Amino acid sequence: MTERSIHVDYVARVEGEGALRVKLHDRTVEKVELRIFEPPRFFEAFLRGRRYDEAPDITARICGICPVAYQMSACHAMEKALGIRVGGTLRELRRLLYCGEWIESHTLHMYLLHAPDFLGFPDAIALAKEQPEAVRRGLELKKIGNAIMRVLGGREIHPINVRVGGFYRCPTPEEMVALRPQVERAMGLAEETVRFMAGLTFPDFEEDYEFVALRGPEEYPFNEGEIRSSRGLRIPQEKFEEQFEEVQVPYSNAYHVIRKGGGSFLVGPLARYAINHDLLTPRAKALAREAGLREVERNPYRSILVRAVEVLFACEESLRIIDGYRPPEVPWVASDTPIAVGDFSAVTEAPRGMLYHRYKLGTGGMIQEARIVAPTTQNQLRIEDDLRDVVARGLDMDDAHLADACEKAIRNHDPCISCATHFLRLEVDRREE
Amino acid sequence: MHEETLLRDLKRKVEEVALGDRAVRVNRVRIWVGALAHISDGQLRARWIEITEGGIAEGAALEIDRSMDPGDPRAQSIVLTRVDVDRDDSPLLEGGDLVEHP
Repeated sequence: MTERSIHVDYVARVEGEGALRVKLHDRTVEKVELRIFEPPRFFEAFLRGRRYDEAPDITARICGICPVAYQMSACHAMEKALGIRVGGTLRELRRLLYCGEWIESHTLHMYLLHAPDFLGFPDAIALAKEQPEAVRRGLELKKIGNAIMRVLGGREIHPINVRVGGFYRCPTPEEMVALRPQVERAMGLAEETVRFMAGLTFPDFEEDYEFVALRGPEEYPFNEGEIRSSRGLRIPQEKFEEQFEEVQVPYSNAYHVIRKGGGSFLVGPLARYAINHDLLTPRAKALAREAGLREVERNPYRSILVRAVEVLFACEESLRIIDGYRPPEVPWVASDTPIAVGDFSAVTEAPRGMLYHRYKLGTGGMIQEARIVAPTTQNQLRIEDDLRDVVARGLDMDDAHLADACEKAIRNHDPCISCATHFLRLEVDRREE
Repeated sequence: MHEETLLRDLKRKVEEVALGDRAVRVNRVRIWVGALAHISDGQLRARWIEITEGGIAEGAALEIDRSMDPGDPRAQSIVLTRVDVDRDDSPLLEGGDLVEHP
């Protein structure tokens, strides 16, 4: 037996997060199956037996990009059980925190993942070599989103300052004033972003989506509103499970969500914009028009423009909240009555779309059952429908080009799996007679 | 969750290198982690222990060289640089089987 050192130079790669299986018969697409290998993470099971006030911190760990969405959906569900309503400045601060998350999440996707697809670059590193000022703009904008998260949440990833009823600590007026010049700067960067993205060339491709999003009472929605669809559905958040159903498919670890009695539907920026366009600020509306966006946009590739407009809106909203800030008397609202027993649910608008939480609470606010339906899950069936059309148009492509076209179509919807560039393994079964 | 697939890939390569060198045990693995690899040492070590369980690399120490240079062309990557193994030096039988020791 001897000891030996072997010198290697091997680069480990992220591969095989997902696979796409396409079955063709002659020139007809028979089957498109998007397989997600990512193992189940059991968060709903972790929550059982925990107290209601632990839910915001536990669920925040589900995602490093949109932890605020998880915290907000959890808090709103628990506040219904406590019979409290968070209004005034605390409500505004929650909107500001959500603005920070939208800015950083959308900017990350636009500049580092999505834009390279339209400019002919394999990734953002290659884009940075040719167009460094664009990537720098994206990074600066993202950093300002992070700064908002840090002031409100204590840190930018998995914030620790959010609690049921409000915050552990509210920012001082000085902290908010210090944020102002950065957000003002962000507004300019966001406008440049809309114009930059409007200069991209988009494939001519439209889909007949059923859009589903919250409809804010008076504001473009983050935390409140009823669920509406572009085909006339209008229900309170609590009725989500009456209309939408999670189903298991044998080929994927991720659930599919179907509209009961219907089929696939789309949540996220395109849907939010289609349903709430009139609630945007005049400046955001004007920029949207200038960028060539219609009031309802059905081309998924153009979702990058909607994200850019939403970032501009989030910057304007942040500035409005910062300018009107007076520290509240207490950082959180407490309940006078013990927490109720029963089922409590809430939906908020994560950057990627509606995020549904439902908790069954026992005595003392102990969680007996939890259900979390993330936006990517809701969009998965719809993504397969998009892919079916992409494949049908790309029948003459070789497998490598087809895989590339499919990856791009998936990235349009910013699913969590899109973090990995070149994540897709394509299997094409071409049968001819 | 990208650390999961990264580490699976790394483990596969370590095993391939080790078995190709007739190793019976992997003692130490050295990796270079780029400044933009988006993974912490803590995540790497924790997943390394879990993922190598039951294989030839179980218990192998993981040494991490962390680069701070975002301009490095491999800045987004993790590079496997060295694998230290215990090697079986017994002669091969015809057909490549290992000689059984009493």
